[in-house]
Amino acid sequence: MAATLLRRLRDLATLLFGLTLVLFVMLRFAGDPVVVMAGPDATPEQMALLSEQYGLDRPLPWQFIVYLGNVLTLDFGQSMSTGRPAMSVVLDMLPATLLLTFLALGFTLLVSIPLGAWLGVRRRTLPRRIVSAGVFILQGAPGFVVGLLLIQVFAVRLGWLPSLGYGTVMHWILPTLSLAAFLAPKLTRVLAANVSEAMREDHIRTARASGATPRELLLRHALPNALLGATALVGTQFAFLISGTVVIELLFSWPGIGWLLVESTQTLDFPVVQSVAIVVAILVFTVNLLTDVCFRLLDPRLRAVGR
Amino acid sequence: MVIAADRRLRRTRKRAGSTGAELWFGAALAFVLLALAALAPWVQTHDPMLGDLTLRFIPPGDAAHWLGTDNLGRDLWSRAVAGLAWSLACALTATLIAASIGTTLGLLAAERDGWVRAIVRQVVDLVLAFPGIVAAICVIAVVGQGFWPLVLTLGLLSWPVFARVVYAEALGILERDFVTAARLAGVNRLRILVGHVLPGLRTTLLVMLAFHFADMLIAESALSFLGIGAPPGDPTWGNMLAESRQFLFRAPWMLFVPAGAIVLAVVIANLLGDGIAVALRGGRDPD
Repeated sequence: MAATLLRRLRDLATLLFGLTLVLFVMLRFAGDPVVVMAGPDATPEQMALLSEQYGLDRPLPWQFIVYLGNVLTLDFGQSMSTGRPAMSVVLDMLPATLLLTFLALGFTLLVSIPLGAWLGVRRRTLPRRIVSAGVFILQGAPGFVVGLLLIQVFAVRLGWLPSLGYGTVMHWILPTLSLAAFLAPKLTRVLAANVSEAMREDHIRTARASGATPRELLLRHALPNALLGATALVGTQFAFLISGTVVIELLFSWPGIGWLLVESTQTLDFPVVQSVAIVVAILVFTVNLLTDVCFRLLDPRLRAVGR
Repeated sequence: MVIAADRRLRRTRKRAGSTGAELWFGAALAFVLLALAALAPWVQTHDPMLGDLTLRFIPPGDAAHWLGTDNLGRDLWSRAVAGLAWSLACALTATLIAASIGTTLGLLAAERDGWVRAIVRQVVDLVLAFPGIVAAICVIAVVGQGFWPLVLTLGLLSWPVFARVVYAEALGILERDFVTAARLAGVNRLRILVGHVLPGLRTTLLVMLAFHFADMLIAESALSFLGIGAPPGDPTWGNMLAESRQFLFRAPWMLFVPAGAIVLAVVIANLLGDGIAVALRGGRDPD
């Protein structure tokens, strides 16, 4: 276990190095940070001064090494537009994104598990078909399209819910539903397939033969198996969910790191972009690690092997 | 072992019989979409770029503009059809780019253990962790907006999905007896990969192509919606959604038309993917 963790951490370090390098090169190609910082009215002298001040007149590889050295001492530089430490700008906005992500994840689980289980055990009746078709169509609706439609109905037409901002619980509802639209239909379908697969297994037949009620069959025998597969899906889809927050945050003016990422990339605020990327990578890494741990705890077969 | 295989086979047969309809239905609808896109210039009733300011905000159901017009008096049906052609071309090209890179690297990693595999794994992790939105904005800053910058960005950021699945499946095939036999018979590595392993991946790849195509449709429209995909003003679904935001109250149909178009196209692609999976493999794709 310790060896696995160590290997994982080494992979993460390599990943962060690669990420920083590629972003560094890419953003420098995209524009000159001096021009961005100095603004449109700057004289050549001012620009020369700025570039000397920030070490931007040195050769690129040198700049990268300096930056990397700073990162290793946890100095992520200053935001070029506000002058605040880049990492604290990111960490200030991280809670909003985490709130949105976990609200959406919670909603997804709350809806998908019962719905998936119901779809999985039901025979092909008409209500099941209708629900199943509805889930299939929802799977085709991208989160931001769902968001736009929700805004149209609940904010513009009915005026029940606010469409922009972050202030109150009422503000959370539409963004949560929109982000959940990325994952909930998919998870429901996977769960339904897993449950119906599990219901055909031999141990279910044995349990049924020894007198288990249909309810016990589902809750004690089929669902735990199906949930195991779903845990893996949630883990791999977390990165996808985080990237989904970008467009949802922009749509609802949600002050999170997705919004910050787009804003800082457009102003070429290089230290902030780097910090967001690093934070997201570490976040995704942690969630994947946790998923693996959950997997081991939930699946007795893996406990014995302990790969 | 034998019993389990036999049971699986029976299960496969039982399902394959009842669900061939899904594939045909999906294929027929996909064909209609393709035909609409290919015949776009003839299907459009108006120029999708040219508006008539005297004909602004006509609601759907009008004799000349059956899906209505937008804030500049442009015909929404014609714009939706033009958007269809653009979306299909983008998603198809991006999917093919992603599939070629992903399959090649996946096969390579499966066949060569050691440092090749280690590097491929690290690059896959890097691309998966890379903030795609930053790449899209940077590409635009350097080369501007257009079809190829957009398609290359989408393709180059999304191939790890193919690499991972191809790698996992190819590993299994490489251990099979017929591959060992070919290797012992002196067939070279490239021919084993192309001639023996790749055909075994056909079903998986077909299913993945359909689902990836759906994902690319969504990604393209999302980027265009954010203003970092298709050139602004061009008739694409993402742009149409972005334009509709200012007129949510005045003209909700400006939202409904492109939203409906995206959902329809993605549902058809998913239907096709499901259909292929069920018909060829006898089971749903686990992912």
